[in-house]
Amino acid sequence: MVANVICPVRIAALHAPCRQGFFGIMASFFQHFINGITLGGVYALVALGYTMVYGILKFINFAHGDILMWGSYVGLFTYNAIRGSAGPGAFSIFAFFVAMLVSCVFCALLGMSVERVAYKPLRKAERLAPLLSAIGVSYFLSNAAQLLFGTQSRKMDYPFDNSPISFLSVSITPHQLMVLAVSAASMAFLIFFINKTKTGKAIRATSLDQDAAALMGINPDRIISVTFAIGSVFAAIAGMLVSLDIKIYATMGMMLGMKAFVAAVVGGIGDIAGAVLGGIMLGLLETFGIAVLHIPVGYKDSIAFVVLILILIVKPSGILGKNIREKV
Amino acid sequence: MVRRKMGLVLLVASLFALFAVSCNKKSGSNVSSGKGEERTVKFYFIGPLTGDYANYGTYCRDAVEYAIEEFNRSEAAHARFSVQLEALDSAGDQNKALAQAEKAVADKSALGILGPVLTGETFSVAGMCQNVGITVMSPSATHKDITDTGDYIFRTVISDGLQGEVAGAYFAQELKYKKLAVLYTMNDYSKGLYEGMKKSFESNPGCQVVMTETCNIGDRDFRTQLTRLKSSTAEAIYIPNYTEEMAQILEQASQLGIKKPFLSGDGFSNPIIYDNAGAYTDGVVYVAPPQVKASTLYSAFVNAYSKKTGHAPDSFACNAYDAANIYIDAAERMLNRGENSREAFRKQVAATKDFAGVSGTINFAPNGDLIANQGVYKVNGKIPSFLGEYRVVNNKLQKAN
Repeated sequence: MVANVICPVRIAALHAPCRQGFFGIMASFFQHFINGITLGGVYALVALGYTMVYGILKFINFAHGDILMWGSYVGLFTYNAIRGSAGPGAFSIFAFFVAMLVSCVFCALLGMSVERVAYKPLRKAERLAPLLSAIGVSYFLSNAAQLLFGTQSRKMDYPFDNSPISFLSVSITPHQLMVLAVSAASMAFLIFFINKTKTGKAIRATSLDQDAAALMGINPDRIISVTFAIGSVFAAIAGMLVSLDIKIYATMGMMLGMKAFVAAVVGGIGDIAGAVLGGIMLGLLETFGIAVLHIPVGYKDSIAFVVLILILIVKPSGILGKNIREKV
Repeated sequence: MVRRKMGLVLLVASLFALFAVSCNKKSGSNVSSGKGEERTVKFYFIGPLTGDYANYGTYCRDAVEYAIEEFNRSEAAHARFSVQLEALDSAGDQNKALAQAEKAVADKSALGILGPVLTGETFSVAGMCQNVGITVMSPSATHKDITDTGDYIFRTVISDGLQGEVAGAYFAQELKYKKLAVLYTMNDYSKGLYEGMKKSFESNPGCQVVMTETCNIGDRDFRTQLTRLKSSTAEAIYIPNYTEEMAQILEQASQLGIKKPFLSGDGFSNPIIYDNAGAYTDGVVYVAPPQVKASTLYSAFVNAYSKKTGHAPDSFACNAYDAANIYIDAAERMLNRGENSREAFRKQVAATKDFAGVSGTINFAPNGDLIANQGVYKVNGKIPSFLGEYRVVNNKLQKAN
């Protein structure tokens, strides 16, 4: 009897969740699409710095995410100091750019110091050694930040009005558009820089053969330093933009770094366009994997790693990566 | 060249300085005394002092440290005995918490453990401590089953079982909701709250949880789940999560144009929510431990704690302070009876009656659980207003006093 009373309610309820018709489903679809692309934009932005350093040194800088985190803290303090209590508007945007500049300089210096202290002495060592050193630096940086800045997340207020732009119940925020635009611009700048400038040429030469480059009058130490500085500047830019959304906390680099690493490998590590492609693909896969394929959210992070494993099996050099013979 | 070398030296020097600072901090948590062995009792604190949940751990550790410093400082106390504390870091990890608890148990001079802080780590520690026979008192592990582990396990925080029960009854009987959606975190705490709320809510005729979404600890992007919740028929969304996750959820929900009201749990009692979630906290109704009655004890503690740490205590820190004082009180009664064993200590802790703590009058149920009502709050702008104390009797919501 009781079952008879309860059942109709339960069945009705089970069918109820999607009340909208075709229009509603399409709106949800586009919203998921936008969510995926913008999440991917975040991964792409962080992956650019990763891939840049890897392209030159064939070495994954696991401390990249933590340099990003330090840059975000420095940026936040500068931003708040300049802005005072001003609300969103022109002055806050100005303060944000100054803070970003300070953060870029800080990260460049930090990146170069890390390279000097933790990687340079190991340049002739086995390949595993600098990798372990990088993980050590990563832990050191995140724990030092926790000690100095405390454990709570800090919010960086949007310098502009971030009210969403809605169209037929699909919304996107100005911040999300900005992340996508900056990812695209950063990618274009890096491709231009590496391929068209003199320093870029020197970087490519160093990447191909350090000894030969040295014979041609290039100072490999300087070039490697410059590479780290540029990679870290992109970490600073990514950090400032991303932390507007996800807040700033000492372990933020860990999560971002992992995903960006996967994005970089999937796209073809060392390839700059590949990092952006990999990032956006990962964002879309994570979003649609859960929303459409109904993969349980508990496995959300596994999506990235399953994709990573598949790519490594099918095309180890990544989607855009070129198959290069191992140097003997 | 010289300049570069100097830079390097400076960097290395600053790294050493950092290490020195960290070492200092560690030794600082040993509140030692110059008293003789038999006049000293020793407690351990276990909680996340580093990692994602370090926030909860350090708030509680500071409160415990303060309670013990305060006791050791007082002249009257010194004449009787002094208390020693050692704080151990679990990093929020269940395995590390267990390893640290084993360390505490191995120390023969340890009478009891204050903490652990998180529900998961308390579960992992409780069984072992019950078997060995050392008292454990958590200021913040809220899962309903924690104190059922055994008679050595206590807590000074209100069980989620009670919180979920009152939440479900309040949503159905006071707010008159029929359909709810839930977004909870995949861990013992959040899931426990969700299950308790669902059971109590659905026991009301016609009430149904129509959509359930989950997220992982440490997630910062909830747009996928929220986009799905947006299309559900639910009248309101229950988010029994941690403070930092909730701030993200509320902000992203507003960005996605979700107009449904949000309901929450005791994670909302941490004032950080109002820093991180901005204006999006407006209108949220949440169930949490009842408002601490303004007392001189409470305001004295808040002042002293703020002075020591630079920030106000959250409700867990208040519970931690009470737990430490209950331990000291029990130790004193034990020593007065001429006893000194872990078993005798447990007996005295269990015998605590009408203890006047900063969070209110404390009594323990026979299983070691805290006896209490639940409070309901509604946030106006950034300020929570207290709607009253409730309990549930035979599925019916009752307003206390």
